[in-house]
Amino acid sequence: MLQGALSGLAAGGVYAIIAVCLTLMSRLVRVVNFSQAATGMFGSYVAVWMVSHAGLPIWLATIAGILVGGLLSGIIGWIIATWLSEADTTTRSAVTVGPLLLLISLSFILFGNKPQPFQPLLAGPAFTVSGVVISQVTVAMVLLAIVVAVVSKVVLSRTTVGTQLRALSERPTTAELIGIPAKPLGVAVWAITGIISTIVIVIVAPSQSNDAIALSMLIVPAAAAALLGAFRRLDLAVIGGLVLGVIQGFVAQIDQVSFVRYFLPFLFIVGLLLWNQRKAVWDAAR
Amino acid sequence: MPRANASRTLRILVPFLVTAGGILVGYALSVGLPGYFVFLGTSAIVAAIAILGLGIVTGSAGMIALCQLTFAAVGAWVVAGLNVIEAPGGFIVWLVLGGLAAGVVGILVGLPALRLRGVNLAVVTLGFAAAADVTLVQIQFPGSVTGTSIVRPEGFGTDREFFFLGILVLAACGIIVYFLQRGRWGSSWKAVAFSERGTASTGQSVPGAKLTAFAVSATLGGISGGLIAGQVGLAFASSFSPIQSLALYVLAVMSGAHLIDMAIFGGIIWIVVPELLKRWGVPQDWGFVVFGVLGVQALTSGTNLGTGIRNLWWKRALKKGGTATNHLTTDVSATPAPQRTFSGEPILVVRDLSVTFGKVEALKQVSFELAEGSVLGLIGPNGAGKSTLVDALTGFLPQHTGSVTLDGRALDRLSPTRRARLGLRRTFQQDRVPPSLTIDGYVRFAARRRLTAGEIAEALEFFGCPPASTRLASVDVGTRRLVEVAANVLARPRVLLLDEPAAGLSHEEHVDLGRRLTQVPARFGTSIILIEHDLDLVRSTCDSIMVLDFGSVLASGPQEDVLADPAVIKAYMGETELL
Repeated sequence: MLQGALSGLAAGGVYAIIAVCLTLMSRLVRVVNFSQAATGMFGSYVAVWMVSHAGLPIWLATIAGILVGGLLSGIIGWIIATWLSEADTTTRSAVTVGPLLLLISLSFILFGNKPQPFQPLLAGPAFTVSGVVISQVTVAMVLLAIVVAVVSKVVLSRTTVGTQLRALSERPTTAELIGIPAKPLGVAVWAITGIISTIVIVIVAPSQSNDAIALSMLIVPAAAAALLGAFRRLDLAVIGGLVLGVIQGFVAQIDQVSFVRYFLPFLFIVGLLLWNQRKAVWDAAR
Repeated sequence: MPRANASRTLRILVPFLVTAGGILVGYALSVGLPGYFVFLGTSAIVAAIAILGLGIVTGSAGMIALCQLTFAAVGAWVVAGLNVIEAPGGFIVWLVLGGLAAGVVGILVGLPALRLRGVNLAVVTLGFAAAADVTLVQIQFPGSVTGTSIVRPEGFGTDREFFFLGILVLAACGIIVYFLQRGRWGSSWKAVAFSERGTASTGQSVPGAKLTAFAVSATLGGISGGLIAGQVGLAFASSFSPIQSLALYVLAVMSGAHLIDMAIFGGIIWIVVPELLKRWGVPQDWGFVVFGVLGVQALTSGTNLGTGIRNLWWKRALKKGGTATNHLTTDVSATPAPQRTFSGEPILVVRDLSVTFGKVEALKQVSFELAEGSVLGLIGPNGAGKSTLVDALTGFLPQHTGSVTLDGRALDRLSPTRRARLGLRRTFQQDRVPPSLTIDGYVRFAARRRLTAGEIAEALEFFGCPPASTRLASVDVGTRRLVEVAANVLARPRVLLLDEPAAGLSHEEHVDLGRRLTQVPARFGTSIILIEHDLDLVRSTCDSIMVLDFGSVLASGPQEDVLADPAVIKAYMGETELL
């Protein structure tokens, strides 16, 4: 049982990190980015291609892939910041469905629709807890999730850029009027979350089903995790991701209900939404 | 009015004639097209039905739904299952049952997101699509392992005949959607897309509007899936993958699928693009790349093909007709009106109403009574709490304390929708009139009761509004708010709260509006609370006045007494103002 639960921790870490990215995006640039995992998928596919076709060393290819992921995310962010700077969250989020579709299809064209020959960056066990082996990937994912959340929190609350970002997210027009560079900062948030997502997916892809759709759909459990923090709180997003991963790992072990694990993120989402909607919320303050 | 009757008959007949024409063309195609194109055509019809559903939820109701093909899978699953157990009724009955089953699933999936706004529905639907996809691959469709092919109905056995069956189903769906879009449901979808608060204030339940949109959309998805099952004989999970749902969503957005013709066009595009790519030797995945790019373009620019084309048409009409505006300045005092007498008993009783936002006390123990048949003016400087009072009375601030009684009935725990239905209505300072409706559609929607064309025309004339057939998008904002007033008056509420109805009108029009408002109680049986900055309007309209300052009632009573009160003059006008 413990084995199963802990085996889900790696996946949970991935959910947590992408959930942190989603939360940052939702708070800072008012978007639920449906292409968050897809940009990571595409970046890591580029890395694989560079190793297998261009013969680049793996570290160089990985860095290049991560940059591609950041660049793609930045481009989407630039488009939204340019044409939809005043639009509401729903409209801005709807746009990201386009890149999600586009990146999946493009990866089919460029890289085929088979799982990719990923070379693991991290492999092997890290340590053993009461007979259960914890892999290096698991350790890396959980640590990365916590680090990303803590760093984001510190940057947002302690640095000038963080203050500017919060100002921008809460009062965009006022922030622009006092000279905060809205567009560059917004695009930077997109690029950085794109880079983080790609790093995560590059690390985790070798050890899970890594076809384009499976990787892009990591967005679903990640969104479920982010919902625990209502797309606002980073700590709850991390906890949500880890808990979801552990429960999934646990359920996957019980044969009779193992298919339930596919529905877990969905049930998680439904449960959280039902909880969140105890009070009616109106679309405008007045 | 024989002419009005004739045009009404024509309005109902035209869609049926168009549908009949469509069926004829469809029949000709089913006979004349080469066999390969018949199969493609069936696929286009199936896609068009699914897009028609998406058009309702995304186009009309403005929500994001990313699992249309999962609903199709539900429909296909039900049809395949009923086929395996050889259920009575045959394919057509199974198809309807499949659609209904998808509708039920749609309601269940949509429920969690209904009271929340924004992207929550998108998250739920994407989650549902992803989960259902993996599950479908595992459990398979009924009969697909044994190879039990779905039995097509008698007379529609061949591919050509099945194509024609598809045409008939599409025609039926099209005509149903046409009348739904023009009915109460359709108006509520468009209203909820524009403003939830505005929708609730008309007594329409906001979750109800979203739920009907989502359920109808899912039902159409299910019907489309059932047809796919009948078309290919054996359904497989690969026909209903999430990525295709995403592509359908994008296609629905860019074609403007809330328009029926555009949904059909979308279905054709769905088939033509990959087919052309195939002929040109280009990998078919490029099709979705193209959809992705066009989708981003459509979503960022907020435009779509159907609306674009119609706007071109309307712009020409607009050039001829110009922007519609009001004609308040015409004299209506001469028009005879039914006169009512009132007892003068209090109809709205408010006791110790308080609202706090954090530490700010926006309203402090406000108490007042509104006599039946009167027009009460509510004035006060900016920030005095006037709009907060309206919000609290109409249920938009459920945290208020104190009591509100309408006609002897306590309203305190009721939602805005319930309060509106019980006869306590409001209008908004901001424009909350959905521009995608015609004046006629909006008035009928907001009034929530059966209205004759004559009644509507009379009320519109009374408030100086443009004729009922005008599209609200081509009406200036000040006049839109007059339409809002007219529609709410036509609802015959017991009490109507007007939040600065004259904002956006010229000063002369203010006074003219005031003259009309004084007649409203006698004409329509509605008592009024009028919030206004313009003292001329208040003076010419209100029997009694209440002044709010810093959330408390500063003075209230007959007009002359209140306006002469030195405290009022000081608070409202400053020390030296002459009143």
